[in-house]
Amino acid sequence: MTPYKVMIIDDEKIVGDMARMSLEQDGYAVETFLSAEPALARLKDERFDVVVTDLKMKGIDGMEVLRTIKGSYPETKVIMITAFANLDAAIEALRADVHDFFPKPVKIKELKASIQRALSKP
Amino acid sequence: MKNAVDFLKSCMNRVMLFRRHSESQESFRALFGRFKEVLETNNRSLEIITDMGEKLGGDYLFDITYIRNAYTSLTQEIGQSIRGLDALTRNRYPRLREAFLRIDRQIQLMLNDAPAGLRVMTVFFEDIGWDMTRDVGGKNAHLAEVKNHLGLTIPDGFAITTYAYDEFIRHNGLQEKINALSKGPSVAEEAIGELRESIMRGAVPAEIEGDLRKTLATLRERSGKCFVAVRSSAEEEDSDFSFAGQFETVLNVPLSDDAVTDAFKRVIGSLFSSKAIAYQRRLGYTVGQMKMAAGCMVMVDPATSGVIYSANPDGDADTLMINATWGLGASVVEGQTDADLYIVKKGIQPQLLHAKYGKKQSMIVSRREGGVSEVRTPAEWAAKPCLTPEQAAELAIQAMTIEKYFGSPQDIEWAIGRDGKMYILQARPLLVPDSSESLRLSPRPAGDKAYPVLFQDEGVVVQRGAAAGRVFIVREPAELDGVPRGAVLVARHDSSLFVRVMPFVSAIITETGTPTSHMAALSRELKVPTIVNAGNVTQILKQDEEVTVYAGENNAVGVYKGIVREILARAQQDSAGMENIYEFRKKRYILRYVSPLNLIDPLMEEFTPEGCKTMHDILRFIHEKAVAELVESARKESARLRGSEKVVKLDIPIPAGILMMDMGGGLDVGRDEKKATFEQVTSVPLRAIVKGMMHPGVWHSEAVSLGVNDFLSSMMRMSDIVSDSERFAGYNVAVISKEYVNLSLRFGYHFNMLDCYCGEFARNNHIYFRFVGGATDITKRSRRVELIATILREYGFGITTKGDLIVARLTNIGREEMEHILDQTGRLIAFTRQLDALLRDEGDVGYYAQRFLTGDYEV
Repeated sequence: MTPYKVMIIDDEKIVGDMARMSLEQDGYAVETFLSAEPALARLKDERFDVVVTDLKMKGIDGMEVLRTIKGSYPETKVIMITAFANLDAAIEALRADVHDFFPKPVKIKELKASIQRALSKP
Repeated sequence: MKNAVDFLKSCMNRVMLFRRHSESQESFRALFGRFKEVLETNNRSLEIITDMGEKLGGDYLFDITYIRNAYTSLTQEIGQSIRGLDALTRNRYPRLREAFLRIDRQIQLMLNDAPAGLRVMTVFFEDIGWDMTRDVGGKNAHLAEVKNHLGLTIPDGFAITTYAYDEFIRHNGLQEKINALSKGPSVAEEAIGELRESIMRGAVPAEIEGDLRKTLATLRERSGKCFVAVRSSAEEEDSDFSFAGQFETVLNVPLSDDAVTDAFKRVIGSLFSSKAIAYQRRLGYTVGQMKMAAGCMVMVDPATSGVIYSANPDGDADTLMINATWGLGASVVEGQTDADLYIVKKGIQPQLLHAKYGKKQSMIVSRREGGVSEVRTPAEWAAKPCLTPEQAAELAIQAMTIEKYFGSPQDIEWAIGRDGKMYILQARPLLVPDSSESLRLSPRPAGDKAYPVLFQDEGVVVQRGAAAGRVFIVREPAELDGVPRGAVLVARHDSSLFVRVMPFVSAIITETGTPTSHMAALSRELKVPTIVNAGNVTQILKQDEEVTVYAGENNAVGVYKGIVREILARAQQDSAGMENIYEFRKKRYILRYVSPLNLIDPLMEEFTPEGCKTMHDILRFIHEKAVAELVESARKESARLRGSEKVVKLDIPIPAGILMMDMGGGLDVGRDEKKATFEQVTSVPLRAIVKGMMHPGVWHSEAVSLGVNDFLSSMMRMSDIVSDSERFAGYNVAVISKEYVNLSLRFGYHFNMLDCYCGEFARNNHIYFRFVGGATDITKRSRRVELIATILREYGFGITTKGDLIVARLTNIGREEMEHILDQTGRLIAFTRQLDALLRDEGDVGYYAQRFLTGDYEV
């Protein structure tokens, strides 16, 4: 069975590194990006099951990543994580069909559970 | 005539006291308020520290924004605590602020990803402080501590800093070549060779070369004509990873500017060998990320030298292993010689258990012109032991000292000079294979029910993990000496004194305690699986019983009979090995300046602002000094209270003659009431103490006969106070609030003081108990002190005694537990009131202690 593919986009290396370490142990195939531009470029070549993206980033931000994915690859689930969580952002993301929205620091176990839920949903 | 003078004197005293009193009462109330504020800010700080420890523990995805925000809140709270202490003590500790700023500077450097702070090329070992790790590299910093803190001998010398490294790389334009290496999955040998050649050809920038020249001249002056060894000391070397054998050491270098510079370059170059690069990559470094400092130390001309493993790598932590050979130890380090092997049992008097004398056919010696060479060992030496049993024991003691200080097994290089002098050349963490490593791949258990459960689902998990070992129940601090390695430490109360054994125990379980205590911080730091508040484990678990302890998420707790491998394996899988991520280690490194606790015992010499190395230390210092200030002010306050209008007499069936001054919430009486019954006392700690004093049978009848009745006896005492000297002032006075009491008692010639805070949060609570005096001779008085100490120890007090003075402290106890202890303390005060006349010999001490502890108060 081919493993599920998860993409992590966060401008801080530590987030991607830790998520990758943890998710790979569970058998996911993980790719990490420090900004949205190369991540979106990669999505053109490769289908990902779940994208975990930071909200606030230089250049293209997480909200735009969400909208782009939902516009072009609606089957890909998006989970948003942010250190600057506020209700407005959460509502905006929910309207744009985000699968889940977590303030950082996020418990890895909860993120994994969310990824599993995302994968079990049609 | 005398009576008239006394009468006049007493009148004057009363007038003076009245006047002084109204001012002091207000100021004491204010002081108490400030004390409570300090407790609150300290609490908030500790909560932040706990949160940071949790979030940076590997279970959360976090980023620098979180660390910055948390740290900003922390500094605000601590700043307020410091201001609170300043106000309490009238700025008695100005250096505390300096200590705080020093630690803050280190953390800010890390938060801002700034380069190390020193702008010099060299620092002598005696000048290397704990906050210079980034400047001098891990190994040098470690060795400096061995010299500066442990007072062990290391060869004279200095560190060449990471600043020198940076400048060297910059000056010679090497960064590009280094960057080129990090591209692609593997590194070409050719590129490595080229880079190392460029390093050897490179020049040291003039401004730092001057610094090196000056330092070498100083060393020449201090040590005469000599040679030096130049050793690597990379950034993280000696922290979580040993880097053993990764980098180069250049031995017997002539003490000339050129030769030392060349050796330095060789050491730098060793960062880029293919094996070192592979090792760095495994640890998550990209090539060029790690910086190299170096140590430059006078060569010892050794008769014998070698290596100590302070724990036996076979897994037996009770013994240590010494390898020794003639001449230089390089051959032992590289494992080349058939060296002597000594196995020593650790302990206060180390014992040589086993010695195997190697053939040592060759040895390495320093060459007269520099460098080293291997020569044949003179025949008469070859099979002779290199060490006497005394030398082996002395080396063992030094190794144990170093191991204890750094809190983990150590790999130590040593040498003994021809003059018999012992030197430590290097000490780094020894990675002992984890005995549970092989269990990693065991299948997950179907459910815990399959294992014989001794204890389950009660308690608070402080540090997660699983471990197996034999139960060792510690009832008093002295028993810590007997804790065997690998034991599961079980105790009634948590205690920061456990730090002594923490590196060696496999788990800790206590009946009381909180996850924010000092011990808890230490458990997390040292990653010892720890459960507190775990019910009556000292009853359930049996001494020496083999158990498996599981401390999981959401306070999932289990203690199982025997060794349950599946549970040990599960805990292994729970942790994801984040330590292998460079960014994670780097961010977590900040915690080193935040959460460890170095100031443990207030009686230690280092218990000073200068001794504070972390934010937690600062908080510990503030708490200790705030309590001390409160105790002292309350004592003075109660001395002033005699004759005050505001005091209320405690009306109880025993003639304790206690007057109370309520600062708020301590009494439930009308405004002008002058008496209060026991039922009207709402001060939690005073109520508990008095309850104990009134316990049936503990207040002996002889004492009652002293005062004909309650009223009269207290009147007599009052007149005693005012007509007697200051020394008797303030006895039997209680300054109280809802959560607080400072109780000064005098019974006959005994002076007793109890200062207690008993609030909602365990970490705020303290009992300070002081007892002095007695009418009998000093021997009997000391016996009484011993009796009190024996009993208080049973309740977990830390104790110091001096002649007939005893000071006992207990902190971090939950309210219920504290009420119980204060009840017992009340009984003890009543019980021992006149006991010293009865303590005829040492045996009586144990006898009466036992009687007391079993609730038999007959005398």
